[in-house]
Amino acid sequence: MEQAVQTVIGGLLQGTVFGVVALGFALVFRVTGAINLSQGAFCIVGALAMYSFQVSLGWPGWAAAAAAVGVTAAAGAVIGATTFVPALSRLPVSSMLILTAGLLTTLEGLSLVVWGSQPYALPPFSGEAPVSVLGVRLPTQGFWIVGAAAAIIAGVWFLLMRTALGRALRACAENPTAARLMGIDVPRMTLFAFTLAALIAGIGGIAVAPILSFQFDTGRLFTIAGFSAVAIGGLGSLVGSVAGGELLGVAEQLAAGYISSLFANGIALALLILTLLVRPSGLLTAKRTRREDVRDEHRIYHPVVRLRGRRAVVFGLGAVAALAVLPWIVPPGLMNSVVITGILFISVLGLDVLMGYCGQVSLGQAGFMAVGGYTAAILATNHGWPPLAGIAAGLVLSLACAVALSLVTMRLRGHYLALATLAFGLLVESLAVGMTETTGGPSGLVGVPSFSVGPFDFGTPLAMYYLVAAVIVVLVLVLLGGLRSGFGRALQAVRTDQTAAAALGINVPRYKMAAFAASAAAASLSGSLYAFHLNFLSPDMVGLARSLEMIAMLVVGGEGTLVGSLFGVALLTLLPTIFQPLALYKTFAEGLLLVLAVRYLPGGIFGVFAQRVLNPSARPARSAA
Amino acid sequence: MSVPALEAVNLAKSFGGVRAAHDVSFSVPGGSLAALIGPNGAGKTTLFNLVTRLYEPDAGEMRFYGRPLAGLPAARIAALGLVRTFQAARIFPGMTTLENVLAGAHLHVRASAWRQMLWLPGARGEERELVRRADALLDLTGLLPFRDAAATDLPMGAQKLLEVVRALMARPRVVLLDEPAAGLNDAETAELGSLLRAVRASGVTVVVVEHNMSLVMGVADQVIVLDTGAVVAAGTPAEIQKNPRVIEAYVGKEAA
Repeated sequence: MEQAVQTVIGGLLQGTVFGVVALGFALVFRVTGAINLSQGAFCIVGALAMYSFQVSLGWPGWAAAAAAVGVTAAAGAVIGATTFVPALSRLPVSSMLILTAGLLTTLEGLSLVVWGSQPYALPPFSGEAPVSVLGVRLPTQGFWIVGAAAAIIAGVWFLLMRTALGRALRACAENPTAARLMGIDVPRMTLFAFTLAALIAGIGGIAVAPILSFQFDTGRLFTIAGFSAVAIGGLGSLVGSVAGGELLGVAEQLAAGYISSLFANGIALALLILTLLVRPSGLLTAKRTRREDVRDEHRIYHPVVRLRGRRAVVFGLGAVAALAVLPWIVPPGLMNSVVITGILFISVLGLDVLMGYCGQVSLGQAGFMAVGGYTAAILATNHGWPPLAGIAAGLVLSLACAVALSLVTMRLRGHYLALATLAFGLLVESLAVGMTETTGGPSGLVGVPSFSVGPFDFGTPLAMYYLVAAVIVVLVLVLLGGLRSGFGRALQAVRTDQTAAAALGINVPRYKMAAFAASAAAASLSGSLYAFHLNFLSPDMVGLARSLEMIAMLVVGGEGTLVGSLFGVALLTLLPTIFQPLALYKTFAEGLLLVLAVRYLPGGIFGVFAQRVLNPSARPARSAA
Repeated sequence: MSVPALEAVNLAKSFGGVRAAHDVSFSVPGGSLAALIGPNGAGKTTLFNLVTRLYEPDAGEMRFYGRPLAGLPAARIAALGLVRTFQAARIFPGMTTLENVLAGAHLHVRASAWRQMLWLPGARGEERELVRRADALLDLTGLLPFRDAAATDLPMGAQKLLEVVRALMARPRVVLLDEPAAGLNDAETAELGSLLRAVRASGVTVVVVEHNMSLVMGVADQVIVLDTGAVVAAGTPAEIQKNPRVIEAYVGKEAA
């Protein structure tokens, strides 16, 4: 009994922090209609800054806390003013989601550069000794957490409901156009909301830091928990987001305490899916959620470049010839990275069908790489299956997962697929870490055999290179055939205008599901090849970081172009290999490039290439809102 | 008497306290061209949205060749042969003019996605046939010069016309056009008029919401006048032009 009480209290404390992060999410969502995935990163920026001021510089706790909150809010203001707010009026909501994924990566990368990759811990504000209340031992830090959360909630409530500024903010949330006509400076209000959310996250991060070990990339856990809490509680509802956070915190602690810590992450997905099935709008629905769909891109902005006839054939043959001679040009030391580039490109190809063509944002592409990779590798390593059969088993499992996920989410409008894929990727990652017996746990699965078909062994990088190149050529041809015909047109119609698509007889849910299945299959195949190529697979190779990286590769290379993302994959895979000292800056550069590409290069590198080199007569498509 | 192509029976829809449609009944015979007219806010677009089930009617029923449309999703209604356009041209950005038109032929793509992916001759041949039809329609409407341009680069009038062409690519039995002449200049409007006549001549039933009186009176077989959510008159253009209730709805009481 006492243990149960302790567990619940632990859950409530954790949930309080989730709730605080979720509050920031809800605030930004209400005012802008955009999901800010970088929210959780501000928690960790706050905590790391606190460490620097308090431990490294030896400042007194209160001064360090104030300075750390100041740093976080300043970071929020700068990022908001330079990227988020200016992008908001130009980009569709789904691109905002990608932009904030880039901001999350940038902040994590920046933290890595400044603070390194080691874990940090902060001393509790009021000493280590727990306080005993009615026989239950409470950590003193708990009072600080609850106090800070209460202050934040009261402050936000007072601000929104009782001040002129709050009225202006609520006006922006209800109807930005009307608010603008009333003389409200909407961009300034948006910046204010974004900064306030960063400040809230900073306070939350500093308050929780003493009971937790944190490092540069812990922020994503807060982002995921906060995002889930918001969806469970009701997207856009302030009370709901706090309630959702508490529910999630308690459920996770109970699952960790009584079942296995393995399922602590899984419980978030389970709760989420349950909520989506039973009450899609969340437990406490906001009065109304405005600006709905995943990618209602009436504001699409990227070059429409089409290669036709002879030009396409010449370009295609040239590309195949280049692929054939590449191994003779590339220095042997780089061959491994070139193969990895090809393997990742297979997965990104799938992501392009889903995101670039069908307009559905997936934050869990690497989760399917993990399913395919681990299934094939485990069957081949421990059960003696031929690699090809292992790959097939991985594909079947991945497709089953994809169909199940899309059945839950496809009829819902909103960011639900993004959310569900995020939770799915995290679940797979935690299973890979936790099921040590089967997967080898965090240190990875070793001794995976090389890929072979009957007597043919693909054990050398060169053999693997030609295998991967052949797979890519076939895959590109197959996808091109579909995407240039009715199938591709239906996907693109769904991406840009679901209502008009349905009015032409296009079965929207069916095409969403087909695109999702295609992307999952490509990822699964890519994951299997990855494991066979490196003879090894570990959770962080196919974790959330990889998912975000692949989004960056796709957008930087050029989405909706099929082959364009190769530029992005090659850039982000080969550059850090060639310039080893840059490896530290890799995450930062990935995030920054993603943000810059979303903002300034909507066609990606390929868009520029296609316009300048392949098809100089094409003009970019511009359309107003 | 043959079954009407499109029939509304006592349709009603309210938004809050506003009665956007109440007790609306009309019927459009197959192969004819009917025009829905009425002042702004009369409920014309609401009626279209009720027909294509973007809205759920509070009461009443829509029938398509005698078949009730209740409970069918939008894509199914299109598959039956009832296709619409939108008041604000909803062409697909990020696609060329030709691709937009081809998207209209979605219901007539017989080759499965698999056969398209494998570049099978059947799928390629079908694609060529669709492109040929699309080119013919683009040529007929004067949009052929824009064929490979990004559709969003087209002038507004051309975009409206493109949407009509896209709807026709679906080979509908009944096509609902929501203000196709809005934003068109006089020459383009005249072209639209002959296009509408040609469409009707090919056996397709046309229902058009339109403000442009000279267009409506020139091409319609039947004019249905809506005001404040109700049908106030229905008849041939000549009858409508003489109807005092129509003049009242448009000009006001004193003038009548």
